[in-house]
Amino acid sequence: MAQHVISVDRVSKSYAGVQALRDVSFSLGAGEIRAICGENGAGKSTFVKLLVGITHPDSGVISIDGRVRTVSGPQHAQSLGLGFVAQELSLAPRLSIHDNIWLGSAEVPLIHRRARFRARAQQAMEMLGIGDWDLDRPVGTLSIGQRQLVEIARLLARQARVLILDEPTATLTDAEIERILGVLKLIKARGHSIIYISHRLGEVFDLCDSVTVFRNGEHVATKPVSEITRDGLIELMLGRPFGEMYPTVPLQREGSHAVVVDGLNVPGMVHDFSLVAPSGKVLCLAGLVGSGTNMVTRALAGLAHGATGRVTINGRSMRLGSVAYCVARNVLFLSEDRAVEGIFHRMTVLDNLVATGLAAHARLGILSWPRLHRFAARLAQQIGIDRRRLRAYAGNLSGGNQQKLLFGRALERTEPGVLLMNEPTRGVDVGARADIYQLMRELCRRGYTLIMTSSELEEVVGIADIVVTMYRGRTVARYEREAIDMTSIMADITHPPPATKAVA
Amino acid sequence: MRKFLRSDQHVRPLGLLAVCIIVLALADWGQGRFLSAATAFSTFEIFATIGPVALGLGLTMMIREFDLSVIGMFSMAGCIAVITGADSPWIGLALALAAGLAGGLAQGFIIVRLRLGSVGVTLGGLLVFTGIAAVLTENRSLPYDNMQLALALKTPLAGVLSIRSVVALAIFAITAFIMAATRVGRDVIAIGSDRRAAMIAGVDVDGLMIGIFAFSSVCAALSGVLVSYSLASASVTAVSVIIVPAAAAAILGGVSLSGGTGRPLGIGVGVLVLAVLSTGFNAIGAPPYVNDIAMGAILLTVAILDGPYLMRRLSGLRRRAVRH
Amino acid sequence: MSEPVARWRKRLAVPATPKSWRQLVFDARNPLPVIRATVMIGLAVLALTTPGFLSRPSISSLLTTVSFIGCVAAGMTLITLSGNIMSFSLGAIVGATAMIFTASVNWGGLAFGFAAALAAGALLNAAQGFVIGWAGANPIVVSIAALSLVYGAIEAVGADGTIYAQAGVSYGLFKGEIAGIPFEFVMFLCVTAIGQLILFLTIFGRNLYMVGGSLRAAEAVGVRTWRTISGAYLWAGMFSALAGIMLAIRYDSASMDFGVGYEYEAIAAVLVGGTVVKGGEGSVVRTLAGALIIAIIQVVLLLKGLRQEWQYLLAGLLVLAVVVLQTRGAGE
Repeated sequence: MAQHVISVDRVSKSYAGVQALRDVSFSLGAGEIRAICGENGAGKSTFVKLLVGITHPDSGVISIDGRVRTVSGPQHAQSLGLGFVAQELSLAPRLSIHDNIWLGSAEVPLIHRRARFRARAQQAMEMLGIGDWDLDRPVGTLSIGQRQLVEIARLLARQARVLILDEPTATLTDAEIERILGVLKLIKARGHSIIYISHRLGEVFDLCDSVTVFRNGEHVATKPVSEITRDGLIELMLGRPFGEMYPTVPLQREGSHAVVVDGLNVPGMVHDFSLVAPSGKVLCLAGLVGSGTNMVTRALAGLAHGATGRVTINGRSMRLGSVAYCVARNVLFLSEDRAVEGIFHRMTVLDNLVATGLAAHARLGILSWPRLHRFAARLAQQIGIDRRRLRAYAGNLSGGNQQKLLFGRALERTEPGVLLMNEPTRGVDVGARADIYQLMRELCRRGYTLIMTSSELEEVVGIADIVVTMYRGRTVARYEREAIDMTSIMADITHPPPATKAVA
Repeated sequence: MRKFLRSDQHVRPLGLLAVCIIVLALADWGQGRFLSAATAFSTFEIFATIGPVALGLGLTMMIREFDLSVIGMFSMAGCIAVITGADSPWIGLALALAAGLAGGLAQGFIIVRLRLGSVGVTLGGLLVFTGIAAVLTENRSLPYDNMQLALALKTPLAGVLSIRSVVALAIFAITAFIMAATRVGRDVIAIGSDRRAAMIAGVDVDGLMIGIFAFSSVCAALSGVLVSYSLASASVTAVSVIIVPAAAAAILGGVSLSGGTGRPLGIGVGVLVLAVLSTGFNAIGAPPYVNDIAMGAILLTVAILDGPYLMRRLSGLRRRAVRH
Repeated sequence: MSEPVARWRKRLAVPATPKSWRQLVFDARNPLPVIRATVMIGLAVLALTTPGFLSRPSISSLLTTVSFIGCVAAGMTLITLSGNIMSFSLGAIVGATAMIFTASVNWGGLAFGFAAALAAGALLNAAQGFVIGWAGANPIVVSIAALSLVYGAIEAVGADGTIYAQAGVSYGLFKGEIAGIPFEFVMFLCVTAIGQLILFLTIFGRNLYMVGGSLRAAEAVGVRTWRTISGAYLWAGMFSALAGIMLAIRYDSASMDFGVGYEYEAIAAVLVGGTVVKGGEGSVVRTLAGALIIAIIQVVLLLKGLRQEWQYLLAGLLVLAVVVLQTRGAGE
């Protein structure tokens, strides 16, 4: 039996009371391309960070080439032949391509002798088909997709034997995707191994030899790609048959056109976007990272600076650019990054819940805490959080409960309003996700207009009443009810047909 | 050399320096008080005092931290040198620098390993070092019995420099070389722009950060020792006297508090701008408050211009005005 | 183990069967209250057993000295809570407002003096807060710039010496005691009370905690962050002006020597009291406790024969200890 390049034995890791990985075992051979699939929060990123030494396991053993190793840090990992391209790129924008390729490498001496390293960098670039780029260009001048290629060049220049790529194609153009997949196949042929974390199941089936599925921090299965179907894979990732996650939609009358957007422009991100969203429905904007979906909702919420366009809500025209203005008119926003832009970690659950409702519970500027308490208790009950946790710090709640807090802020407003949600179930475990979908249906029933974005196609197809696909800041198509179909949506957001402007 | 001059990091401070010199020369109106060797000498003396402190502070700002303790170290080092250097100034210097190294390493270690914000820890450091200086001096001025050394340090070389300013210039030159030509420079810029990314790339972020805090303390200590020796006395320096010009110099020199920008030479030019202003105003007979107001105004203006929301707010206002 | 006990244990993250007392104390989610309680008890014991501490003049002087810095510290608390760490210009504002007060009283009477000084303090600081909140300018740098500008401006106006109160100016009851407590301390208590009311009973106060806790989350929720930050600085300026006024009343004169170095003692009181340096957590009452702790330690050590110079060192060590322990306790 050929020796495994990487062998992981029962590794566990927990952060601040949350068990991110539990008894995970894993092995990878030479020349093998392994996909790692799982929902957000399943533990894929944590696992990979353990492999490259960014964090360290609480228990368990990692072996490289048959020898047990403690990977002390990224530099050590590189010397062991492990290279990592993170989801959030790790390039320094002000340094040149060449400097970025060699940044942090242990091989580079104090006063860099450039010629030798330059040659290797050039070689790596040529292998990727970008040998004509100027090595001295500052990385900041490159597009996201181009920077992705520089990151991979960095791994090749440093002679990584195992390339670990976390969502590598999320922001690439078709041509770039084709090039990357081609290069990866070439690299595999030379005996390198690749770990490929991706949501893009099409690529998984196209490129990879086998798939490892994580769910809720545990290793669920590892199978050769030939032995599993796409639906089977999704079912392994979700933990339950696809249909059961999403609540049934009661047949209801189509609401009036609550939100009408015309000609929305966010410089550089969204171009001439138009939309009609009825109340009582969930409208989902589907698109890849960088397609502009998150920017549309931010613009509607007042958070996008420089946004122009006409927006009317329930017939009243809305001003763009002020969040306070929107909140006062019951247009509320849930950020895709609740840790940084949603939750107040060191304030109580109560404080977090009432954050948007303070004005309604004050007389002459003085708050009434008894009223606020009762208000918060009602909200907590409606979102399924125990009233006794009102005094707990929000930072100590699980991801799912934190997300529910954000929903709680939208309840009991003066009138059912508009809820703009970016990636509402990111980093939320399966159980809480089902709760959140129920919550969304309940809000619809009450007459709210829900506009959300999601990059998880299964979720888009499962929860949305209306889907609007976007690509590079423009609308591609609009689908309603039975017309919603995963293949069409996937095609739209990755390589749409040549532009005929679709009115959404 | 050409690449260095093209870099826009140096344009702003050099431009400012040119403007200040021209303005002051005009204000002098040909009376020969400003454009003279004496003024140049005073300028470089101020440069020698503030320069190293600004350099250390600036480097910590480049990695998005702020070393408040430099002023305390400045005072403490001077006191240590004066007390222990009674017989040999070299021993005093060595011990003071060792104290600087120890203080910087300790702070750096606490900040990096315990992942604390630098302002809180260096505030503690500032108070501790100033406190030690106060205890050592008993809140008075400690005399230093080496007048020859004091005179030697102040003697003009080539009319405009002195030993102190040569030392300061050397520190700047060495630091500039290290930043430009070695991987340390690359790593520092990377840490300043995106600490996480640098760590993933393999940079030894922790070690470098501790090193920068140590460097900052040692620079402050060196400056403090030389100043004390040249004045033949040591005392507790008021915080505001040093920190205002040091921070101003760093910021003028292109260091932005969002990290990743700034170069040692830029900081050096920033110090020169402030020194020129100070001696210039003095030379043309302006009352001392002009210097305070000028420095405060410059600092405030640059802080506002560097504010990340400024552009956004202004364009928002413009759009609202157009709509009406 | 009964249910409520189990829940309590879980909230404190105490292991079910602690292996040792050390684990019980230090593994608890927040050791800070335990440590602080121990320190305060120890301090009280130490203070009460030091001869000379409990004498009237000693306590009276302690309360008076604490009040000047305490008012500034109360203002500093608001700045720290807003996430802007500290302001280097509060001491200069104390001096400037003291001078403005004395000059205004000489010119137009007591009420005018109060109004002018408070307005000046509010304006000088609110302007900084505006620049910091609206443009995003760095708070440390702006306060350093303001420090320089205030000193320069006062010199420029020609008032760099000492201003004396005119003969015949009477401060009335402001210059005495109320029920045996020095008037200054009463003012300090009032300032603390006002600060607490603002923080916990007004929308502005809750906004302040949100802005300090997470600026972006506060924006996403609709808080007008620049208004909140300007407001925090405005109150800080007013509280500092109050300290300046009290100093001017006490010494019948005013000069820029007043308030020198106050910001360092103030931030030490804020941090020792338990307000977190990165903002979003803390209160003015905690700062009151911090100021008292530092003052008591200073007096006790003075009485025990330690010279005044050790106070800076002491404050520094306290701040370091608190800063190091704070993050251990926050458990983030």
